[in-house]
Amino acid sequence: MTAIKPILSAMFRSRSAPLLLLAQIILSIAIVANAAFIIQQRMELMARPSGITETESFEFSVFNFGEDMDLLARDERDLQILRNLPGIKAAAPTNMVPLSGSGWSDRFVDGPDPENAKSLPIFAFYLSDEELVNALGLKLVEGRTFHKGQILRAFDDKSVQREVILSQTMAKAFWGEESPIGKVVYQGDDEPITVVGVVERLQGAWVDDMHLENSVIMNIDFNGRSNNASYIIRAEVADIPQLQETIKAALLKDEPRRVIRGFSTIAENREQNYANHAMMAFVLGCMIVLLLVITALGLSGMVMFNIERRTKQIGTRRALGASKGAILSWFLTENYLILGTGALVGVLLAFELGRRLMNFFSLPALDWRYPAMTVALLFVVTTVAVILPARKAANISPATATRSV
Amino acid sequence: MFMHYLDLAWRSLRKTPLMSLLMVFAISIGIGITIMTLNVHQVMSTNPSGERSDKLLGVQLWTQGQDTWRNYSAILTYQDVINLRRGTVPVRQAAMFRTGKAITTDNPDIEAEMQSVRITDSDFFAMFSVPFLYGNVWDKAVDEVPEHVVVIGKELNDKLFDGRNSVGETLYLNTKPYRIVGVTDHWSPKPRYYDLTTGSMQDAELLFVPFSLTPIEEFEVWGNTNGWKFEPLRTYQDRMASEKAWLQFWAEVDTPEQRKAFQDYLNAYVDSQQQLGRFTDKSRDSWARTMNVAELLEFHEVVPEDNKILIGLSLLFLLVCLVNILGLMLTKFLKRAPEVGVRRAIGASKRQIFAQHLVEVGCIGAIGGALGLLWAWSALQYLAKKFFLEEAMTNLDPSIWVIAPSIAIVSAMLAGMYPAWVICKTKPSVYLKSQ
Repeated sequence: MTAIKPILSAMFRSRSAPLLLLAQIILSIAIVANAAFIIQQRMELMARPSGITETESFEFSVFNFGEDMDLLARDERDLQILRNLPGIKAAAPTNMVPLSGSGWSDRFVDGPDPENAKSLPIFAFYLSDEELVNALGLKLVEGRTFHKGQILRAFDDKSVQREVILSQTMAKAFWGEESPIGKVVYQGDDEPITVVGVVERLQGAWVDDMHLENSVIMNIDFNGRSNNASYIIRAEVADIPQLQETIKAALLKDEPRRVIRGFSTIAENREQNYANHAMMAFVLGCMIVLLLVITALGLSGMVMFNIERRTKQIGTRRALGASKGAILSWFLTENYLILGTGALVGVLLAFELGRRLMNFFSLPALDWRYPAMTVALLFVVTTVAVILPARKAANISPATATRSV
Repeated sequence: MFMHYLDLAWRSLRKTPLMSLLMVFAISIGIGITIMTLNVHQVMSTNPSGERSDKLLGVQLWTQGQDTWRNYSAILTYQDVINLRRGTVPVRQAAMFRTGKAITTDNPDIEAEMQSVRITDSDFFAMFSVPFLYGNVWDKAVDEVPEHVVVIGKELNDKLFDGRNSVGETLYLNTKPYRIVGVTDHWSPKPRYYDLTTGSMQDAELLFVPFSLTPIEEFEVWGNTNGWKFEPLRTYQDRMASEKAWLQFWAEVDTPEQRKAFQDYLNAYVDSQQQLGRFTDKSRDSWARTMNVAELLEFHEVVPEDNKILIGLSLLFLLVCLVNILGLMLTKFLKRAPEVGVRRAIGASKRQIFAQHLVEVGCIGAIGGALGLLWAWSALQYLAKKFFLEEAMTNLDPSIWVIAPSIAIVSAMLAGMYPAWVICKTKPSVYLKSQ
């Protein structure tokens, strides 16, 4: 490093340019650190696995509008048709679709007496039969799925036992490490519900829900309770476009008085429902890149001007024996002095901005690594932005520079 | 003089093309990002009810039991809505919810399709200023004595009846015949303020059916049903008799005094229900609340949090861009000091020099602003495609055409003020000496 003192005194003589640069660096650190932190948050959110074979599983719904239609029988017949179609690996009825943005949620209690029972956490409530585990490609880690034929057709149907399969998060939230298999829960009345299985993971409908990972499947085929019936199908990715046509044709052929709609894979649901977060990350990402570009260009421009203004001075120094490296390091030192000061204030400002964002919005506190990384990034960017024009300065020949003195 | 300065500014910009481009680029990016985020905000924070905002009141009741919901519910139970509908304080009132039906006509060539249907009262149309193309809303008597009638939207009328006057014709909702009594003109307020609980940026429904048909037709609910206690809904009767909330209730008042009277009426109603043993959570001072449209837009957080964060960050971003061009401008102007020195010596006043430089800065701002608008527009188009934004969001709000150039020129001038001031202080003597 060359002597800092003359550099400092040179800077103090024309204060405005370095001060502006300082302001720019301070603001950049505050913005980039917070933006990067928010991006990271969103990426983490989007990266959470759903537990579902998202590209292989798709949903659709059937709206039956025939006046005299037996909707319960219709659902059973439709399921039969679907399960007999070639290319379909699994088909299941459902009341809600994962990651779709619309669904059911409910709560269990651990005893039949509503006054004394303890509440289990809130969960996404799937009503389906033994095939849903298969149709969503869920991984059963404990217990079993429902027995074929042991499926209820309504909440007041008491023909068979009520059973549930829980997501692991749901099971752990209430029973910790203890196995939930065989445990009995209640839903407000005194009908016991037995836990028969645990799947590794199953997400609910709302991606911004705090309880996204809490899910329960109950052995009720709820289709046929209203005009609308929904199904989840699993098939090879390549077969899906064709299957959508085949399914529509087969179901309409059997009963034309209906509207079949809404074909979409769970992967498509995911994309739709995380679109806000993806957009936020994308816009902030663009902001960071543009900010760095603008800072770098502005800095280069100013260094370039400085060089022109100081051509004679640089030439004189070169004539007096300063090496090219010394000239280069003069500009770099100048830059690092400003960057260092800017970093100190900028990091403080970044935390202040982060604190404000946290107070006003549902954001966590800024992680210290983000300001640190931003400073490192600015170190690289400004170095490049200074070196390119400063090399020109170092090449100033003493002869041309001093000629007019 | 202004034209002369413009000419000078143009010459000056052309003399240092790279620097000018850099400045225009910086400011246009800053403006572009700011305008983009502001536009989304403008579109979403529009209050489409205009001056009627204060007259339209959404009703919220504290109907829950103890230790249940922590907030007022924006949707009500059927029994409360039926009770409130009998009230005489408001000028107009309407209960409502959304359902869906398969639509067919007597024309067998038209395939059955699903449509959202708004179930509501006849006052809805006057309250929310729905324009009619043909016919009119159903008779007020139908709100009490149900009839199978329907009002349809222009878009649906175009599709099903080729746009002709279809009043009197029959439309089938789930094969059930309904007589068309009115066709509305295009109407789709954004945000869809009459129902903010099922997506604020969606299009308005194209079918309206009397609320009084609800117990007969047992319409499915396409929207939220919230409950705070265990109540199995086995039949539609259960739903109507339950404490489950699923309906919205709107009232129209003319004056603040009427709003006060309505508020008193609501409080009295809640009291009467508490006497009957309902509304058991009494841990508050008041149990009823009315919100006008502006308050409801705020309550439902129609403008998303992310947008507010982006506006904040983009304004900071713009500040960086301004500091940046401030630096560049200072640099550029100082380089011109000798020339200014000569001009001062031959009689140019400080004010003239200052004005001339501000015009130059203003030019940069104006060009940057125009370019920024272009950036914002294309960015919105791109984002809309990539991230499924509603179409309403991609159009530039009319206000933006004023906001964008103002921000651009004002901010550029602010940034240029200091450099212009520095340069107009130039002492002629210094530069004359060295010539």
